Amino acid sequence: MGTLVFLKESVFSDEYASRKGFMQSIDPRFKAVSFFLFILTALFTKSIATSLWLYLLCLMLVCVSKIDLGFFLKRTWIFIPIFSLFIAIPAIFSIVTPGEALVSFKLAGLNFIITRPGLAGGALFVTRVTVSVSFVVLLSITTKHFELLRVLRVFKVPHMFVMVLGMCYRYIYLFVEVVENTYLAVRSRVGRRVHYKKGQRMAAWNMASLWHRSYRLNEAVYNAMLSRGYSGEPAIFNDFKARPRDWVWLACSVVLTFISLNII
Amino acid sequence: MKKKIFELRDVRFSYLGKYPALQGVDITIEKGSRAAVIGANGSGKSTLLNILDGLIFPDTGSVKFFGAELDEKALADERFNRYFRSRVGLVFQNPDIQLFCPTVKEEIMFGPLNFGFSHKEIKKAFDLIVDVFGIKDLVDRMPHQLSIGEKRKVSMASVLISGPELLLLDEPTAGLDPKTSRGLVDLLNEYHDDGKTIITATHDMHIVEEIADIVHVFSRDKKIIRSGPPAELLADTEFLEENNLIHSHFHRHDGKAHTHPHEHPSHDHTH
Repeated sequence: MGTLVFLKESVFSDEYASRKGFMQSIDPRFKAVSFFLFILTALFTKSIATSLWLYLLCLMLVCVSKIDLGFFLKRTWIFIPIFSLFIAIPAIFSIVTPGEALVSFKLAGLNFIITRPGLAGGALFVTRVTVSVSFVVLLSITTKHFELLRVLRVFKVPHMFVMVLGMCYRYIYLFVEVVENTYLAVRSRVGRRVHYKKGQRMAAWNMASLWHRSYRLNEAVYNAMLSRGYSGEPAIFNDFKARPRDWVWLACSVVLTFISLNII
Repeated sequence: MKKKIFELRDVRFSYLGKYPALQGVDITIEKGSRAAVIGANGSGKSTLLNILDGLIFPDTGSVKFFGAELDEKALADERFNRYFRSRVGLVFQNPDIQLFCPTVKEEIMFGPLNFGFSHKEIKKAFDLIVDVFGIKDLVDRMPHQLSIGEKRKVSMASVLISGPELLLLDEPTAGLDPKTSRGLVDLLNEYHDDGKTIITATHDMHIVEEIADIVHVFSRDKKIIRSGPPAELLADTEFLEENNLIHSHFHRHDGKAHTHPHEHPSHDHTH
Protein backbone atom coordinates (compact mmCIF):
# COMPACT_ATOMS: atom_id res chain seq x y z
CA MET A 1 0.00 0.00 0.00
CA GLY A 2 2.84 2.36 0.94
CA THR A 3 4.55 1.59 -2.37
CA LEU A 4 1.43 2.53 -4.31
CA VAL A 5 1.06 5.80 -2.40
CA PHE A 6 4.77 6.57 -3.02
CA LEU A 7 4.34 5.79 -6.73
CA LYS A 8 1.30 8.04 -7.02
CA GLU A 9 2.93 10.90 -5.15
CA SER A 10 6.35 10.77 -6.77
CA VAL A 11 5.50 9.87 -10.35
CA PHE A 12 2.09 11.38 -10.87
CA SER A 13 2.25 14.50 -8.74
CA ASP A 14 3.19 17.66 -10.59
CA GLU A 15 3.77 19.49 -7.31
CA TYR A 16 7.30 20.72 -8.08
CA ALA A 17 6.51 21.46 -11.73
CA SER A 18 3.69 23.77 -10.60
CA ARG A 19 5.93 25.87 -8.31
CA LYS A 20 7.05 29.30 -9.44
CA GLY A 21 10.80 28.58 -9.55
CA PHE A 22 13.54 29.46 -12.05
CA MET A 23 13.62 26.26 -14.11
CA GLN A 24 9.82 26.04 -14.11
CA SER A 25 9.70 29.46 -15.78
CA ILE A 26 11.85 28.36 -18.76
CA ASP A 27 10.17 27.09 -21.93
CA PRO A 28 10.41 23.27 -21.82
CA ARG A 29 12.02 23.14 -25.29
CA PHE A 30 14.84 25.46 -24.24
CA LYS A 31 15.22 23.65 -20.93
CA ALA A 32 15.51 20.30 -22.70
CA VAL A 33 18.13 21.62 -25.16
CA SER A 34 20.24 23.22 -22.43
CA PHE A 35 20.15 20.09 -20.24
CA PHE A 36 21.02 17.99 -23.25
CA LEU A 37 24.10 20.20 -23.77
CA PHE A 38 25.14 19.78 -20.12
CA ILE A 39 24.70 16.00 -20.28
CA LEU A 40 26.71 15.79 -23.52
CA THR A 41 29.49 17.81 -21.89
CA ALA A 42 29.52 15.46 -18.92
CA LEU A 43 29.65 12.43 -21.21
CA PHE A 44 32.54 13.68 -23.35
CA THR A 45 34.71 15.29 -20.70
CA LYS A 46 37.68 13.38 -19.29
CA SER A 47 37.98 15.67 -16.30
CA ILE A 48 36.33 14.80 -12.98
CA ALA A 49 36.51 18.50 -12.08
CA THR A 50 34.28 19.38 -15.08
CA SER A 51 31.77 16.73 -14.07
CA LEU A 52 31.77 17.96 -10.48
CA TRP A 53 31.32 21.56 -11.65
CA LEU A 54 28.31 20.48 -13.73
CA TYR A 55 26.90 18.64 -10.72
CA LEU A 56 27.33 21.78 -8.63
CA LEU A 57 25.55 23.77 -11.34
CA CYS A 58 22.68 21.28 -11.27
CA LEU A 59 22.38 21.56 -7.48
CA MET A 60 22.38 25.38 -7.75
CA LEU A 61 19.54 25.15 -10.29
CA VAL A 62 17.68 22.86 -7.88
CA CYS A 63 17.95 25.51 -5.15
CA VAL A 64 16.72 28.38 -7.35
CA SER A 65 13.83 26.22 -8.61
CA LYS A 66 12.26 25.96 -5.14
CA ILE A 67 12.91 22.22 -4.91
CA ASP A 68 13.77 20.67 -1.57
CA LEU A 69 17.45 19.65 -1.90
CA GLY A 70 16.96 16.62 0.37
CA PHE A 71 14.09 15.34 -1.81
CA PHE A 72 16.18 15.89 -4.95
CA LEU A 73 19.22 14.05 -3.58
CA LYS A 74 17.09 11.14 -2.39
CA ARG A 75 15.37 10.88 -5.76
CA THR A 76 18.61 10.96 -7.77
CA TRP A 77 20.74 8.77 -5.52
CA ILE A 78 18.20 5.94 -5.76
CA PHE A 79 19.18 5.51 -9.42
CA ILE A 80 22.89 6.33 -9.34
CA PRO A 81 24.04 3.12 -7.58
CA ILE A 82 21.89 1.06 -9.93
CA PHE A 83 23.32 2.67 -13.06
CA SER A 84 26.91 3.19 -12.03
CA LEU A 85 28.28 1.93 -8.73
CA PHE A 86 27.65 -1.74 -9.41
CA ILE A 87 29.30 -1.39 -12.81
CA ALA A 88 32.17 0.83 -11.64
CA ILE A 89 33.25 -1.23 -8.61
CA PRO A 90 34.93 -4.10 -10.54
CA ALA A 91 36.71 -1.54 -12.77
CA ILE A 92 38.71 -0.07 -9.87
CA PHE A 93 40.54 -3.35 -9.23
CA SER A 94 43.72 -4.46 -10.96
CA ILE A 95 42.00 -7.49 -12.56
CA VAL A 96 40.01 -5.14 -14.83
CA THR A 97 42.24 -2.02 -14.88
CA PRO A 98 45.95 -2.71 -14.33
CA GLY A 99 48.22 0.11 -13.17
CA GLU A 100 49.88 1.73 -10.16
CA ALA A 101 48.57 0.11 -6.95
CA LEU A 102 46.92 2.40 -4.40
CA VAL A 103 45.47 0.01 -1.83
CA SER A 104 45.60 -3.74 -1.51
CA PHE A 105 43.72 -6.10 0.81
CA LYS A 106 42.90 -9.77 1.24
CA LEU A 107 39.37 -11.12 1.25
CA ALA A 108 38.46 -14.82 1.50
CA GLY A 109 42.03 -15.72 0.63
CA LEU A 110 42.10 -13.56 -2.51
CA ASN A 111 44.34 -10.55 -2.99
CA PHE A 112 42.51 -7.39 -4.19
CA ILE A 113 44.43 -4.36 -5.52
CA ILE A 114 42.81 -1.01 -6.20
CA THR A 115 44.77 0.81 -8.93
CA ARG A 116 45.13 4.57 -9.57
CA PRO A 117 43.82 4.46 -13.21
CA GLY A 118 41.03 2.11 -12.07
CA LEU A 119 39.94 4.47 -9.31
CA ALA A 120 40.15 7.52 -11.63
CA GLY A 121 38.15 5.76 -14.36
CA GLY A 122 35.55 4.52 -11.86
CA ALA A 123 35.18 7.96 -10.29
CA LEU A 124 34.80 9.62 -13.71
CA PHE A 125 32.17 7.09 -14.69
CA VAL A 126 30.20 7.61 -11.46
CA THR A 127 30.33 11.42 -11.74
CA ARG A 128 29.17 11.25 -15.38
CA VAL A 129 26.19 9.12 -14.39
CA THR A 130 25.51 11.39 -11.40
CA VAL A 131 25.40 14.50 -13.62
CA SER A 132 23.25 12.83 -16.29
CA VAL A 133 20.75 11.36 -13.82
CA SER A 134 20.57 14.66 -11.90
CA PHE A 135 19.80 16.77 -14.98
CA VAL A 136 17.23 14.27 -16.23
CA VAL A 137 15.51 14.20 -12.82
CA LEU A 138 15.62 18.01 -12.63
CA LEU A 139 14.04 18.22 -16.08
CA SER A 140 11.31 15.74 -15.17
CA ILE A 141 10.37 17.34 -11.87
CA THR A 142 10.36 20.93 -13.10
CA THR A 143 8.32 20.16 -16.22
CA LYS A 144 4.76 18.90 -16.37
CA HIS A 145 4.76 15.46 -17.95
CA PHE A 146 2.47 16.48 -20.83
CA GLU A 147 4.87 19.31 -21.68
CA LEU A 148 7.73 16.81 -21.80
CA LEU A 149 5.72 14.71 -24.23
CA ARG A 150 5.08 17.76 -26.38
CA VAL A 151 8.80 18.57 -26.34
CA LEU A 152 9.51 15.08 -27.66
CA ARG A 153 7.03 15.68 -30.46
CA VAL A 154 8.56 19.07 -31.28
CA PHE A 155 11.97 17.37 -31.54
CA LYS A 156 10.52 14.95 -34.09
CA VAL A 157 10.55 11.86 -31.90
CA PRO A 158 8.15 9.50 -33.78
CA HIS A 159 4.54 10.39 -32.92
CA MET A 160 3.59 6.82 -32.27
CA PHE A 161 6.35 6.46 -29.67
CA VAL A 162 5.30 9.65 -27.86
CA MET A 163 1.65 8.67 -27.95
CA VAL A 164 2.32 5.23 -26.50
CA LEU A 165 4.49 6.83 -23.81
CA GLY A 166 1.73 9.27 -22.89
CA MET A 167 -0.87 6.54 -22.74
CA CYS A 168 1.35 4.32 -20.60
CA TYR A 169 1.66 7.18 -18.13
CA ARG A 170 -2.10 7.79 -18.21
CA TYR A 171 -3.13 4.16 -17.79
CA ILE A 172 -0.46 3.16 -15.30
CA TYR A 173 -2.25 5.61 -12.98
CA LEU A 174 -5.56 3.89 -13.68
CA PHE A 175 -4.03 0.49 -12.95
CA VAL A 176 -2.38 1.74 -9.78
CA GLU A 177 -5.87 2.73 -8.68
CA VAL A 178 -7.29 -0.65 -9.69
CA VAL A 179 -4.56 -2.45 -7.72
CA GLU A 180 -5.13 -0.16 -4.74
CA ASN A 181 -8.90 -0.77 -4.76
CA THR A 182 -8.45 -4.51 -5.25
CA TYR A 183 -6.07 -4.60 -2.29
CA LEU A 184 -8.59 -2.72 -0.13
CA ALA A 185 -11.41 -5.02 -1.27
CA VAL A 186 -9.35 -8.11 -0.42
CA ARG A 187 -8.41 -6.69 2.96
CA SER A 188 -12.01 -5.84 3.78
CA ARG A 189 -13.01 -9.45 3.13
CA VAL A 190 -10.11 -11.49 4.50
CA GLY A 191 -8.71 -9.27 7.23
CA ARG A 192 -5.14 -8.15 7.75
CA ARG A 193 -3.32 -11.51 7.98
CA VAL A 194 -3.36 -13.85 5.01
CA HIS A 195 -1.50 -17.16 4.82
CA TYR A 196 1.34 -16.82 2.34
CA LYS A 197 -0.01 -19.61 0.11
CA LYS A 198 -3.39 -17.93 -0.10
CA GLY A 199 -1.56 -14.61 -0.61
CA GLN A 200 0.34 -16.07 -3.57
CA ARG A 201 -2.90 -17.33 -5.10
CA MET A 202 -4.51 -13.91 -4.66
CA ALA A 203 -1.51 -12.15 -6.18
CA ALA A 204 -1.57 -14.49 -9.18
CA TRP A 205 -5.30 -13.98 -9.59
CA ASN A 206 -4.81 -10.21 -9.39
CA MET A 207 -2.14 -10.28 -12.08
CA ALA A 208 -4.37 -12.32 -14.38
CA SER A 209 -7.33 -10.04 -13.73
CA LEU A 210 -5.24 -6.91 -14.33
CA TRP A 211 -3.89 -8.34 -17.57
CA HIS A 212 -7.43 -9.15 -18.72
CA ARG A 213 -8.65 -5.65 -17.83
CA SER A 214 -5.75 -3.98 -19.60
CA TYR A 215 -6.41 -6.06 -22.70
CA ARG A 216 -10.07 -5.01 -22.75
CA LEU A 217 -9.15 -1.40 -22.02
CA ASN A 218 -6.69 -1.40 -24.92
CA GLU A 219 -9.46 -2.32 -27.35
CA ALA A 220 -11.94 0.16 -25.87
CA VAL A 221 -9.46 3.06 -25.92
CA TYR A 222 -8.57 2.31 -29.54
CA ASN A 223 -12.29 2.44 -30.42
CA ALA A 224 -12.61 5.77 -28.60
CA MET A 225 -9.71 7.10 -30.68
CA LEU A 226 -11.22 5.81 -33.93
CA SER A 227 -14.52 7.41 -33.02
CA ARG A 228 -12.85 10.82 -32.94
CA GLY A 229 -11.17 10.52 -36.29
CA TYR A 230 -7.86 8.80 -35.44
CA SER A 231 -6.47 7.15 -38.55
CA GLY A 232 -3.02 6.01 -37.39
CA GLU A 233 -1.26 9.39 -37.65
CA PRO A 234 -1.52 11.40 -34.43
CA ALA A 235 -1.83 15.16 -34.99
CA ILE A 236 -0.30 17.77 -32.67
CA PHE A 237 -1.22 21.28 -31.64
CA ASN A 238 2.02 23.12 -30.91
CA ASP A 239 1.39 26.31 -28.95
CA PHE A 240 4.80 26.77 -27.31
CA LYS A 241 5.94 30.41 -27.39
CA ALA A 242 9.57 31.39 -26.82
CA ARG A 243 10.14 34.53 -24.71
CA PRO A 244 13.32 36.64 -24.38
CA ARG A 245 14.21 34.97 -21.06
CA ASP A 246 14.26 31.56 -22.81
CA TRP A 247 16.77 32.81 -25.39
CA VAL A 248 18.87 34.37 -22.61
CA TRP A 249 18.87 31.06 -20.74
CA LEU A 250 19.90 29.17 -23.86
CA ALA A 251 22.75 31.62 -24.50
CA CYS A 252 23.88 31.25 -20.86
CA SER A 253 23.78 27.45 -21.21
CA VAL A 254 26.01 27.58 -24.30
CA VAL A 255 28.46 29.85 -22.44
CA LEU A 256 28.43 27.55 -19.40
CA THR A 257 29.07 24.54 -21.64
CA PHE A 258 31.99 26.36 -23.27
CA ILE A 259 33.42 27.28 -19.86
CA SER A 260 33.05 23.67 -18.68
CA LEU A 261 34.89 22.30 -21.69
CA ASN A 262 37.70 24.83 -22.02
CA ILE A 263 38.48 26.48 -18.74
CA ILE A 264 38.07 23.82 -16.11
CA MET B 1 -40.63 13.76 -44.82
CA LYS B 2 -37.51 13.95 -42.68
CA LYS B 3 -34.23 12.51 -43.96
CA LYS B 4 -33.21 9.16 -42.52
CA ILE B 5 -29.72 9.22 -41.02
CA PHE B 6 -29.64 5.57 -39.99
CA GLU B 7 -31.75 2.61 -41.03
CA LEU B 8 -31.06 -0.71 -39.30
CA ARG B 9 -32.79 -3.87 -40.45
CA ASP B 10 -32.69 -7.19 -38.61
CA VAL B 11 -29.31 -6.39 -37.05
CA ARG B 12 -27.76 -9.26 -35.10
CA PHE B 13 -24.49 -9.19 -33.23
CA SER B 14 -22.74 -11.48 -30.78
CA TYR B 15 -19.49 -11.08 -28.85
CA LEU B 16 -16.84 -13.72 -29.62
CA GLY B 17 -19.44 -15.34 -31.81
CA LYS B 18 -21.19 -16.93 -28.82
CA TYR B 19 -22.59 -14.24 -26.51
CA PRO B 20 -25.55 -12.62 -28.29
CA ALA B 21 -25.85 -8.86 -27.77
CA LEU B 22 -28.44 -7.92 -30.42
CA GLN B 23 -30.98 -10.36 -31.82
CA GLY B 24 -32.77 -8.77 -34.75
CA VAL B 25 -32.93 -5.01 -34.20
CA ASP B 26 -34.90 -2.71 -36.53
CA ILE B 27 -34.59 1.01 -35.95
CA THR B 28 -34.72 4.20 -38.03
CA ILE B 29 -33.09 7.45 -36.92
CA GLU B 30 -34.43 10.60 -38.56
CA LYS B 31 -32.50 13.83 -38.94
CA GLY B 32 -33.15 16.28 -36.13
CA SER B 33 -34.87 13.71 -33.90
CA ARG B 34 -34.30 13.02 -30.23
CA ALA B 35 -34.44 9.37 -29.30
CA ALA B 36 -33.88 7.48 -26.08
CA VAL B 37 -32.92 3.84 -25.99
CA ILE B 38 -33.90 2.29 -22.71
CA GLY B 39 -33.51 -1.21 -21.35
CA ALA B 40 -32.18 -3.22 -18.45
CA ASN B 41 -28.44 -3.84 -17.97
CA GLY B 42 -27.00 -6.03 -20.71
CA SER B 43 -29.97 -5.60 -23.02
CA GLY B 44 -27.82 -4.35 -25.93
CA LYS B 45 -28.00 -0.55 -25.69
CA SER B 46 -24.22 0.07 -25.74
CA THR B 47 -23.74 -2.49 -28.52
CA LEU B 48 -26.31 -0.66 -30.63
CA LEU B 49 -24.48 2.66 -30.10
CA ASN B 50 -21.16 1.07 -31.06
CA ILE B 51 -22.76 -0.23 -34.26
CA LEU B 52 -24.21 3.22 -35.03
CA ASP B 53 -20.74 4.71 -34.51
CA GLY B 54 -19.18 2.21 -36.93
CA LEU B 55 -16.93 0.68 -34.27
CA ILE B 56 -18.34 -2.81 -34.59
CA PHE B 57 -20.29 -4.37 -37.43
CA PRO B 58 -23.30 -6.69 -37.32
CA ASP B 59 -22.94 -10.42 -37.91
CA THR B 60 -26.05 -10.26 -40.09
CA GLY B 61 -28.54 -7.58 -41.09
CA SER B 62 -28.02 -4.19 -42.66
CA VAL B 63 -26.95 -0.77 -41.39
CA LYS B 64 -27.52 2.18 -43.73
CA PHE B 65 -26.13 5.66 -43.20
CA PHE B 66 -27.91 8.24 -45.37
CA GLY B 67 -29.07 5.37 -47.57
CA ALA B 68 -25.59 3.86 -48.14
CA GLU B 69 -24.43 0.63 -46.56
CA LEU B 70 -22.20 1.24 -43.52
CA ASP B 71 -19.68 -1.56 -43.22
CA GLU B 72 -15.93 -2.12 -42.81
CA LYS B 73 -15.38 -1.67 -46.53
CA ALA B 74 -17.11 1.71 -46.56
CA LEU B 75 -15.14 2.94 -43.54
CA ALA B 76 -11.86 1.75 -45.05
CA ASP B 77 -12.24 4.59 -47.54
CA GLU B 78 -10.33 7.50 -45.96
CA ARG B 79 -12.60 10.26 -47.29
CA PHE B 80 -15.79 8.53 -46.22
CA ASN B 81 -14.24 7.65 -42.87
CA ARG B 82 -13.43 11.31 -42.15
CA TYR B 83 -16.89 12.38 -43.36
CA PHE B 84 -18.64 9.80 -41.18
CA ARG B 85 -16.53 10.31 -38.05
CA SER B 86 -16.90 14.08 -38.15
CA ARG B 87 -20.68 13.75 -38.41
CA VAL B 88 -21.30 11.07 -35.82
CA GLY B 89 -19.98 11.51 -32.29
CA LEU B 90 -20.14 9.00 -29.45
CA VAL B 91 -19.79 9.84 -25.78
CA PHE B 92 -18.75 6.60 -24.10
CA GLN B 93 -20.25 5.30 -20.88
CA ASN B 94 -16.86 5.06 -19.16
CA PRO B 95 -14.98 8.38 -19.38
CA ASP B 96 -11.72 6.65 -18.42
CA ILE B 97 -11.85 4.96 -21.81
CA GLN B 98 -12.54 8.13 -23.68
CA LEU B 99 -10.03 10.36 -21.92
CA PHE B 100 -6.68 9.03 -23.12
CA CYS B 101 -4.68 12.23 -23.71
CA PRO B 102 -2.23 13.71 -21.19
CA THR B 103 -4.30 16.88 -20.57
CA VAL B 104 -7.87 18.07 -20.85
CA LYS B 105 -6.81 20.58 -23.52
CA GLU B 106 -5.23 17.92 -25.74
CA GLU B 107 -8.20 15.66 -25.12
CA ILE B 108 -10.66 18.27 -26.36
CA MET B 109 -8.48 19.16 -29.36
CA PHE B 110 -7.89 15.51 -30.36
CA GLY B 111 -11.00 15.23 -32.59
CA PRO B 112 -10.66 18.50 -34.55
CA LEU B 113 -6.93 17.89 -35.05
CA ASN B 114 -7.62 14.47 -36.53
CA PHE B 115 -10.45 15.84 -38.68
CA GLY B 116 -7.98 18.31 -40.18
CA PHE B 117 -9.41 21.56 -38.78
CA SER B 118 -7.03 24.51 -39.07
CA HIS B 119 -5.26 25.66 -35.89
CA LYS B 120 -7.27 28.91 -36.00
CA GLU B 121 -10.58 27.01 -36.18
CA ILE B 122 -9.50 24.68 -33.37
CA LYS B 123 -8.52 27.58 -31.12
CA LYS B 124 -11.87 29.30 -31.72
CA ALA B 125 -13.93 26.13 -31.20
CA PHE B 126 -11.87 25.23 -28.12
CA ASP B 127 -12.45 28.61 -26.44
CA LEU B 128 -16.17 28.35 -27.16
CA ILE B 129 -16.66 24.78 -25.90
CA VAL B 130 -14.58 25.40 -22.77
CA ASP B 131 -16.79 28.39 -22.05
CA VAL B 132 -20.04 26.47 -22.67
CA PHE B 133 -19.03 23.67 -20.29
CA GLY B 134 -17.45 26.02 -17.74
CA ILE B 135 -14.21 23.99 -17.67
CA LYS B 136 -11.66 26.75 -18.27
CA ASP B 137 -9.89 25.96 -15.00
CA LEU B 138 -9.50 22.29 -15.97
CA VAL B 139 -7.76 22.66 -19.33
CA ASP B 140 -4.21 22.06 -18.06
CA ARG B 141 -5.22 19.28 -15.67
CA MET B 142 -4.66 15.61 -16.31
CA PRO B 143 -7.95 13.76 -17.01
CA HIS B 144 -7.27 11.14 -14.34
CA GLN B 145 -7.22 13.85 -11.67
CA LEU B 146 -10.81 14.90 -12.35
CA SER B 147 -14.02 13.96 -10.55
CA ILE B 148 -16.58 11.82 -12.39
CA GLY B 149 -18.75 14.88 -13.15
CA GLU B 150 -15.76 16.77 -14.57
CA LYS B 151 -14.70 13.72 -16.59
CA ARG B 152 -18.18 13.52 -18.12
CA LYS B 153 -18.12 17.21 -19.03
CA VAL B 154 -14.71 16.83 -20.66
CA SER B 155 -15.86 13.69 -22.53
CA MET B 156 -18.84 15.58 -23.92
CA ALA B 157 -16.78 18.66 -24.75
CA SER B 158 -14.23 16.49 -26.59
CA VAL B 159 -17.00 15.16 -28.85
CA LEU B 160 -19.13 18.30 -29.22
CA ILE B 161 -16.18 20.50 -30.23
CA SER B 162 -16.28 18.89 -33.69
CA GLY B 163 -20.01 19.69 -33.99
CA PRO B 164 -21.31 16.23 -34.99
CA GLU B 165 -24.73 16.16 -36.62
CA LEU B 166 -25.61 12.99 -34.75
CA LEU B 167 -24.67 12.70 -31.11
CA LEU B 168 -24.74 9.27 -29.44
CA LEU B 169 -24.63 9.21 -25.65
CA ASP B 170 -24.15 6.13 -23.54
CA GLU B 171 -25.53 6.58 -20.02
CA PRO B 172 -24.55 10.26 -19.84
CA THR B 173 -25.97 10.84 -16.36
CA ALA B 174 -24.54 7.72 -14.67
CA GLY B 175 -22.83 8.67 -11.43
CA LEU B 176 -23.72 12.35 -11.65
CA ASP B 177 -25.27 14.40 -8.87
CA PRO B 178 -28.75 15.84 -9.60
CA LYS B 179 -27.52 19.37 -10.36
CA THR B 180 -24.83 18.25 -12.83
CA SER B 181 -27.33 15.86 -14.38
CA ARG B 182 -29.81 18.74 -14.81
CA GLY B 183 -27.15 20.93 -16.45
CA LEU B 184 -26.32 18.12 -18.86
CA VAL B 185 -29.96 17.68 -19.90
CA ASP B 186 -30.28 21.44 -20.54
CA LEU B 187 -27.12 21.39 -22.61
CA LEU B 188 -28.33 18.46 -24.71
CA ASN B 189 -31.60 20.23 -25.40
CA GLU B 190 -29.75 23.38 -26.47
CA TYR B 191 -27.66 21.24 -28.81
CA HIS B 192 -30.83 19.70 -30.24
CA ASP B 193 -32.32 23.18 -30.77
CA ASP B 194 -29.43 23.81 -33.17
CA GLY B 195 -30.88 21.11 -35.42
CA LYS B 196 -28.72 18.21 -34.21
CA THR B 197 -29.88 14.62 -33.77
CA ILE B 198 -29.40 13.03 -30.36
CA ILE B 199 -29.68 9.38 -29.33
CA THR B 200 -29.27 8.61 -25.66
CA ALA B 201 -28.97 5.15 -24.16
CA THR B 202 -30.04 5.28 -20.54
CA HIS B 203 -31.94 3.65 -17.75
CA ASP B 204 -32.30 6.90 -15.90
CA MET B 205 -36.08 7.28 -16.16
CA HIS B 206 -35.93 10.82 -14.73
CA ILE B 207 -34.54 12.31 -17.88
CA VAL B 208 -36.22 10.28 -20.63
CA GLU B 209 -39.19 12.60 -21.20
CA GLU B 210 -36.93 15.63 -21.35
CA ILE B 211 -34.35 14.29 -23.77
CA ALA B 212 -36.46 12.27 -26.18
CA ASP B 213 -39.43 12.56 -28.50
CA ILE B 214 -39.36 8.85 -29.16
CA VAL B 215 -38.33 5.99 -26.89
CA HIS B 216 -37.12 2.57 -28.01
CA VAL B 217 -37.35 -0.13 -25.36
CA PHE B 218 -34.97 -3.10 -25.36
CA SER B 219 -36.23 -6.36 -23.93
CA ARG B 220 -34.13 -8.88 -22.04
CA ASP B 221 -33.91 -10.97 -25.23
CA LYS B 222 -31.95 -8.10 -26.86
CA LYS B 223 -34.58 -6.83 -29.26
CA ILE B 224 -36.47 -3.57 -29.50
CA ILE B 225 -39.91 -4.61 -28.40
CA ARG B 226 -41.66 -1.29 -28.36
CA SER B 227 -41.15 2.25 -29.64
CA GLY B 228 -43.30 5.28 -28.97
CA PRO B 229 -43.67 8.70 -27.37
CA PRO B 230 -42.15 8.87 -23.87
CA ALA B 231 -45.38 9.94 -22.12
CA GLU B 232 -47.25 6.92 -23.47
CA LEU B 233 -44.49 4.44 -22.69
CA LEU B 234 -43.69 5.74 -19.23
CA ALA B 235 -47.36 5.57 -18.29
CA ASP B 236 -47.40 1.81 -18.94
CA THR B 237 -45.89 0.80 -15.60
CA GLU B 238 -46.74 -2.86 -16.03
CA PHE B 239 -44.73 -2.97 -19.27
CA LEU B 240 -41.80 -1.10 -17.70
CA GLU B 241 -41.76 -3.40 -14.69
CA GLU B 242 -41.81 -6.45 -16.94
CA ASN B 243 -38.68 -5.13 -18.65
CA ASN B 244 -36.77 -4.29 -15.46
CA LEU B 245 -37.03 -0.54 -15.95
CA ILE B 246 -38.97 0.16 -12.77
CA HIS B 247 -39.43 -1.89 -9.65
CA SER B 248 -42.11 -2.42 -7.07
CA HIS B 249 -41.46 -0.27 -4.09
CA PHE B 250 -42.37 -1.44 -0.63
CA HIS B 251 -42.85 1.17 2.07
CA ARG B 252 -45.14 2.46 4.84
CA HIS B 253 -47.41 5.46 5.02
CA ASP B 254 -49.21 6.24 8.26
CA GLY B 255 -48.34 2.81 9.58
CA LYS B 256 -49.80 1.04 6.53
CA ALA B 257 -47.43 -1.10 4.43
CA HIS B 258 -47.98 -1.33 0.67
CA THR B 259 -46.20 -1.80 -2.64
CA HIS B 260 -46.46 0.14 -5.90
CA PRO B 261 -44.35 0.59 -9.02
CA HIS B 262 -41.53 3.01 -8.51
CA GLU B 263 -39.89 4.77 -11.43
CA HIS B 264 -38.41 7.75 -9.60
CA PRO B 265 -39.88 10.52 -11.74
CA SER B 266 -40.43 12.32 -8.47
CA HIS B 267 -40.31 11.30 -4.86
CA ASP B 268 -43.71 12.87 -4.18
CA HIS B 269 -46.64 10.63 -4.87
CA THR B 270 -50.25 10.32 -3.74
CA HIS B 271 -52.23 7.28 -2.76
